[in-house]
Amino acid sequence: MSRSGTHRTHVENGAQGDTSVVRLIDAEQAPILARPYYPDEGSPSPITASLAHVPEVLEATLPFVARILGPTAVGLRAKEIVILRTSALMECRYCVQTHTAVALDSGLTVEEVRALRGEAELEAVFTRAEELVLIAWVDAVALGRGAVPEEVSARAREAMGDPELVELTLVAAATLMLNRYCSALGLPTSAATLGRLASDGLA
Amino acid sequence: MSAVAEAIARGEVGERLWFYANYHCNLRCTYCLTESAPQVNRRELGEEQIVERAREAKELGFTRLGVSGGEPFLLDYMPRLVATLGAELPTIVLSNATVFNDRRLREMEPLADLPVHVQISLDHPDPEDNDEMRGPENFRKVVEAIPKLVERGIGVRIATTLEDPEAADPDEMERLCELHRSMGVADEDHVVRPIINRGRAVGNDMGVLAGFEQLEPELTLTSDGAFYSPFAPTVRGGNLDTDLLVSRTTKPVREPAEMLARIGASRPTGNDASIGIR
Repeated sequence: MSRSGTHRTHVENGAQGDTSVVRLIDAEQAPILARPYYPDEGSPSPITASLAHVPEVLEATLPFVARILGPTAVGLRAKEIVILRTSALMECRYCVQTHTAVALDSGLTVEEVRALRGEAELEAVFTRAEELVLIAWVDAVALGRGAVPEEVSARAREAMGDPELVELTLVAAATLMLNRYCSALGLPTSAATLGRLASDGLA
Repeated sequence: MSAVAEAIARGEVGERLWFYANYHCNLRCTYCLTESAPQVNRRELGEEQIVERAREAKELGFTRLGVSGGEPFLLDYMPRLVATLGAELPTIVLSNATVFNDRRLREMEPLADLPVHVQISLDHPDPEDNDEMRGPENFRKVVEAIPKLVERGIGVRIATTLEDPEAADPDEMERLCELHRSMGVADEDHVVRPIINRGRAVGNDMGVLAGFEQLEPELTLTSDGAFYSPFAPTVRGGNLDTDLLVSRTTKPVREPAEMLARIGASRPTGNDASIGIR
């Protein structure tokens, strides 16, 4: 593997976690095929700005992630429960902070967010049985080794149809991938997100 | 016909595939695109890798090859590599012509029988002006080397790089042309082009700005990946520019070639590739 001139540098953008292991590519240096994924104004997400180092991988990854985590037949509330819970279990700082904001936008309450982050009792906050089953399923998928325990699996099949279970399991799996990617590369959380979390008492 | 060959036929991909053989150089020119110098990381692409990709490129429909650097002839295998490439497709290799000792010239003699040109940089007809940007003794070494190549029957082109070709002194240009003619290089083998405001030229505030609208899409393979043009894999402040990066994948060549074709097809109507950057 070549040692290119794309030196590894630390990001200094005022965001938390100025410890990015790789250079984050700004709009001026964005490769041609990566440019459609950059916003017209403002900074790109650090996931986009890091993937831009490898445009052909970016072109495959971002549509994949957007399709799985974005709007589909499964509601965004359920998806954000999966994403935030998985990220909290994996202790991915960037993903927890970023998806705390997204979860709030998707209709979760501050108390529900705290519970998913492990800061409050789940059963005291979540009252719908199917959501508790989903959380148990996520815990087994994210933390388990080998097959999901039969008891958890049986309850999940009872609460969800096959398409929903497939999608939400893939949401958890994709989140696990992103958790490791963001944590390993030390991607920084934006100052705007940190400001919002502070104002909501969720910093 | 491959999809790449069709894109070449439509002009969405240039017919020449370029290779950056290396990034190190014995000179340190003030307008160098790649900040090349003796001590920089060599970042060699490798002889076998270049030949393998060139052969695939030929199958895909590319009709010409180019080799640049760095100074390619700092690599011992370069005469042999250029001969191998020239046996596949017409090939041009860019050089500063300052490393052509007797041994190297003997190694280059087989190139005379092949569709190969060595493109040599010569910017001014006067040593002081030429050497100001290219370094001491550059002029003398170049005007010594060119006749030796021509005598051996090796094709030579001369590339003159100027801050503003439109504003060049006509008398000076005429003296430069007289000089290359006197060395056996015809007018059609003399190209004049502007300095590009990339690489070391940025820090020295030189040259014309060139983005993908201004540059011809010519697939360029380096040790860092595939780029939009031979003017694209530039280095500034030690960092590789990525704005004209196509892909990190260079093998199979079809992959970056097809990605470049997508970019070439998306260029806006009326794109300006008219500033003579060749």
